[in-house]
Amino acid sequence: MRGTGLGFITPLLVVMVVAFDAPIVYMLGLAFWHKGQGPTLEHYQALFAAPVYLRVLGNTMRISLIATIANVAIGYPLAHWIRGLGGRGRAIAIAMVVLPFWVSILVRTYAWIVVLGNAGLVNRFLQWTGLTDAPVSFLYNELGVTIGMANVLLPFLVLPLFAAMIRIDDRLLQAAASLGASPRTIFWKIYFPLTLPALAAGTLLVFILCLGFYVTPAILGGGRVPMISNLLDTLINQMPRWEQASAISTILLIVTLLIFAAYRRLDRRAAA
Amino acid sequence: MSTSSPWARRALATVGVLGLVFLTVPIVIVVPMSFSSAKALTFPPPGFSLRWYETLFGNPRWMEAMSTSAILAVISSISALLLGGLAAYGLRRGAFRGRDWAESNFMAPLIVPAIITAIALYLGLAKIGLLGTFLGLVVAHTVLNVPLVMMVLGVAIRSFDLRIEQVAWSLGASWSYTVRKVVLPNLAPSVFAAWIFAFIGSFDEVIVTSFVAGKYDTVPKKMFNELILEVNPTITAVATLLIGLTVIALAAVAFILARAGKLKPTIV
Repeated sequence: MRGTGLGFITPLLVVMVVAFDAPIVYMLGLAFWHKGQGPTLEHYQALFAAPVYLRVLGNTMRISLIATIANVAIGYPLAHWIRGLGGRGRAIAIAMVVLPFWVSILVRTYAWIVVLGNAGLVNRFLQWTGLTDAPVSFLYNELGVTIGMANVLLPFLVLPLFAAMIRIDDRLLQAAASLGASPRTIFWKIYFPLTLPALAAGTLLVFILCLGFYVTPAILGGGRVPMISNLLDTLINQMPRWEQASAISTILLIVTLLIFAAYRRLDRRAAA
Repeated sequence: MSTSSPWARRALATVGVLGLVFLTVPIVIVVPMSFSSAKALTFPPPGFSLRWYETLFGNPRWMEAMSTSAILAVISSISALLLGGLAAYGLRRGAFRGRDWAESNFMAPLIVPAIITAIALYLGLAKIGLLGTFLGLVVAHTVLNVPLVMMVLGVAIRSFDLRIEQVAWSLGASWSYTVRKVVLPNLAPSVFAAWIFAFIGSFDEVIVTSFVAGKYDTVPKKMFNELILEVNPTITAVATLLIGLTVIALAAVAFILARAGKLKPTIV
């Protein structure tokens, strides 16, 4: 091998340091700096003193948690079902998961306005079946935001989970069956534990992505379901209170990186 | 598991099908709606018309947003491909201290929430006077799309046999000659896939763009701003065009990779 390969990464390294690392460090600096006076923690004190910030933080945590649980409840059976499909059916099902993954979040979020609106598909169906008399409000509340987020993030869970599931050797399951284990025992004692690292990694990934969600709450929440990102938008573009925004961003960044570190450890185990 | 009860299998299939419906319903609904003749968003559409496409293509601001998006996506995806491709090669083939650190740094824009990248770039670009400039947008989109390029090319380079390159070196070829004449031709399908992903990534980007674009309107930025104000059927036409673009791009990638026998390792 000639050289060290350092020359190949230098151009990108320069761009990343200038256009990504430096701005983030600058932002972190703003969060701990009082103009003309030096380092300070006052922006954090202001943060914890104002109930509105804590409420948005609580909102974000709750919505993220519910959307993540919904993702697991739909995603695990879905991935498991796809694993059991034959060649052609499996390819079609995977295509149906991959395509939405690549379609703009904006498009997928927007479509829910049509589907969930007062005169939308779901409400018309509910009234037609007689389950409800008046339209159910799905939009511009937490329910709509949660549905939209779960929809956008589902492929992030299903794809890695499916990848882990097809690595499980069928002969392992057959061996258990031939030794007299019931399907339920095989699933819970063998199959599920083998998929657990991938499930845990995917769950953490979805949760991280939930925490930073911006587009879906802005559109499906109609301003009534602010999450951290929407609060940050207000602080930067409308108020403007850059230091406060930087302080909140710093917290969000640290939480995200901590969860991501846990994800990396689990993901390595899932791949091993 | 073939031995589980028919009841359990049927329940699983129901959840699976419902899951797929849940995933695809937004896409399936939007397309027919865009050809609706009605002003209100009702499904199924009462009649067929192209009025929303006429409104869209007759609107100079939408046309301008489309050309901005296209130019931005072309420039930033190519720069992400060049920078990310070189770096992916250096990381896979090189041996230097801090390699893992460099790789994590390059992949960071994928993990750091987009809103934080948006704010950091907003503050940073404002500081150096590039906020609201096209150059600022290009740099932002390049940085955001590098991880996509590196993921696709990283896998491809790892599965490409190092010994083939070693043969070229042992025959006296320089490293750059080897890359151009041996590595690149072999990696061409993955390079194409990486470029397409970066292009789509840029064309669909909304959060960072909304923060740093200033007076520039891209298609997603304009769409987002209109959606916040009111729901307008023209948006269904835009959404359908975006879906069409994605379908064509993914089909092209699938076709090129399948022909090269590389479809599986790239997608999952």
